[in-house]
Amino acid sequence: MKKSLWGLMLSLAVVLAGCSGGEESGGSEGEEPVEQSDSKTLVIANGTDVVSFDIHDHNTTSTEAVHVNMFNYLLTNEGEEGFKPDLAESWENVDDKTWSFKLKEGVKFHNGEDLTADDVKYTLERIAKDDTLLEHGNYNQIQEVKVVGDYEFEIITKNPEPALLNRLSRLGSAILPKDYIETEGWEVFLEQPVGTGPYKFKEWKKDDRLTLEANTEYFGEAPKWDEVVFRSIPEDSTRVSELLTGGVDVAVNIPPTDVERINSTDGVSVVQSPTQRVMMFTLRTDEGSVTGDPKVREAIDLAIDKQAIVDSLLEGAGTVTRTRVTPGNIGANEDLYGKSLYDPEKAKQLLEEAGHADGFELALSAPNGRYLKDKETVELVTAMLSEVGITVNLELMEWSAFNQKYQEKGFGEMFYIGYGNSMFDASLALDRLTTEEAAGESDYNNPEVNDLLLAAEQNMNAEERAQQYQKAQELIAEDRPQIYMFQLDAITGINDRLNFEPRLNEMFYVDSITLK
Amino acid sequence: MKYFLKSLVKTIPVLLLITLIVFLLVRVTGDPVSLMLPETATDAERDSLREAMGFNDPLPVQYLNYLGDLVTGDFGDSFRYNTDALNLILERLPATIELAIASMIVAIVISVPLGILSAVKRNSFFDLFITGGAVLGKAMPSFWLGIMLILMLSVTFQFFPVSGRGTLGHLVLPALTLGTGIAAEMTRLIRSSMLEILGQDFIRTARSKGLGESIVVNKHAFRNALIPVVTIMALQTSTLIGGTLITETVFAWPGLGQLLVQSVNLRDMAVVQAATFIIAIFVILSNLIADLVYRTLDPRIKYD
Repeated sequence: MKKSLWGLMLSLAVVLAGCSGGEESGGSEGEEPVEQSDSKTLVIANGTDVVSFDIHDHNTTSTEAVHVNMFNYLLTNEGEEGFKPDLAESWENVDDKTWSFKLKEGVKFHNGEDLTADDVKYTLERIAKDDTLLEHGNYNQIQEVKVVGDYEFEIITKNPEPALLNRLSRLGSAILPKDYIETEGWEVFLEQPVGTGPYKFKEWKKDDRLTLEANTEYFGEAPKWDEVVFRSIPEDSTRVSELLTGGVDVAVNIPPTDVERINSTDGVSVVQSPTQRVMMFTLRTDEGSVTGDPKVREAIDLAIDKQAIVDSLLEGAGTVTRTRVTPGNIGANEDLYGKSLYDPEKAKQLLEEAGHADGFELALSAPNGRYLKDKETVELVTAMLSEVGITVNLELMEWSAFNQKYQEKGFGEMFYIGYGNSMFDASLALDRLTTEEAAGESDYNNPEVNDLLLAAEQNMNAEERAQQYQKAQELIAEDRPQIYMFQLDAITGINDRLNFEPRLNEMFYVDSITLK
Repeated sequence: MKYFLKSLVKTIPVLLLITLIVFLLVRVTGDPVSLMLPETATDAERDSLREAMGFNDPLPVQYLNYLGDLVTGDFGDSFRYNTDALNLILERLPATIELAIASMIVAIVISVPLGILSAVKRNSFFDLFITGGAVLGKAMPSFWLGIMLILMLSVTFQFFPVSGRGTLGHLVLPALTLGTGIAAEMTRLIRSSMLEILGQDFIRTARSKGLGESIVVNKHAFRNALIPVVTIMALQTSTLIGGTLITETVFAWPGLGQLLVQSVNLRDMAVVQAATFIIAIFVILSNLIADLVYRTLDPRIKYD
């Protein structure tokens, strides 16, 4: 017994010594500069693993951020610069329901097959017709894809669909290899995915790392990296530690509290950039609710100091706004962006005029742990509202319980939520405020807004459509069925050996990340 | 052998009960469809997905379907990964077993010598130090210990890699984190078990025969003190698996624990059900093995 025990201890000691020997040792106290290598391997740390290679059956931004390097869309959405060709060479809106496209010739999938219009038909009709796929709801507007020639096709929509190009340049619209999937089957495709992108699949160790390698046959500009590794590191502090030790080049979702620590370490820094997520309160506007009075809603808006919350809780990682349609989205009303109202004195006066001089109570529900600093934000808001005499009964809920109540439309006067917008179009951002969709939730019913939103939904005149949305946003900002707080920033940590410009859509096109 | 088989048969109702409890829990606590779709999804989109996924069937029907599939070894498909749930678990299992074994080695290496020593040198400063350390070890939350170890041994002194799985170096910090808590528990147990044995007559006899103290302690006392320790080690299987949930998340260790945490968060029912089922089998088996080891250590113990 004794012998084996000592043997065991000895072997462990050897193992421990062996492990430490290989690593660089001899660090002193404090943060040392992070090493700057010129390796042609890029390592990116995400908070979650890639969900699947079924591009139609996930709706996770972080998964799509990986996919964009392996697959291509027909076109890309460059925000204010408009749409740029990707697999498609050109396109044209033939009539209200028909769009014709021309594909680039000579594009090859990673397995050597040529990309043709048949692949496009296969891909888009799968997502448009299979209602079990998670992205189906964003593509079921497509009636049919007609193949005209090897490199020409038409997309027919069920109704006039002004946002079709937005749909085709986002999650779920990468083009898949029809022949490969049909001969090998989905199982094989999911294990060995094949796309047209600058990087091809090498290896996937689930919940650990996904490795891609350069596709030397890529039809566009040659890939800049030999290998790209996407690691999955769920714990924030671990991700930060990996960045600080040079274990990863890029780390996403840095907590605001770690920003200063990273910036004060030589060799790494943090970049902040806007995202599509806007945090807001939704209010009940029906006659029976205390918030049914527009003056009460205005008072609530004026009582909340949004900029103070951005500065103190988010360490500046956000932009106040009075609309949900932020710049970079079609139909954005930039006059309402970057602004917020705060005037507690006027708020008190409005409450007095509304007959609430002695204050009143209202219910506020919010998820806890779903969004950055959600709990802290609503607690501060509760305190700010109490300053003007409003007593808030705050209900903090775990996300799935909150979600359940959200679907049942069972909240009291107010709830806190953050909406993203993967469509980059005002339609998705505002459709909850049509009379039909708002029923039971905010009960917002402004016929003028409703008419504007419904008309814009199918208006094929882009300019007029954008104006309709902008007008609607002005009216909504006055009516306040939703009180907008701020647009969240993404905080990304990077090694200083890299140039990196984050994108609004949070995609990592790795070739836009370059060595200095 | 007969006893072993009998015990195996007895586990069937236990497993059935576990399937029922887990089945109900994952359904009562949240609707997976709403967690799969973004906040912007409309009611119509949610309803159509719910229908397509078969969640509109009554619960008893869903449960019977699940049991029927289970008998044929089909645990269902993961919503998140869209693939066979059992495969996902089997893929992760080696990583978790590796971590569990390493943690157990850490726990044994720490607890056996310390436990014996503090019993032999009872009430000394040394004993006080060890028992105090054991309380501290038990009280430290493992996520805190994990993060501290990363900050000290990976960030400040770059001895070990921060996270992930690959080399032996990757294994050290997670195994230390998980092993420390278990070591604390076992040290205290070995100490009290040793104290009890050291006070017994046969030890006095051994000493009066003129045997050296090290033979008395290591051969006579420790072997007998091991019996309750083996039980605790077997019971630690569940603590160990529970510990992997946190440790694997902190160290981005791609094992069953991390998979289970993410699946619970997303109400990925098939994976949660399959994982708990497999874990239950592990716990039951480890208890059975403890019974068998008992008999080897103490031949007086007989089972009918």
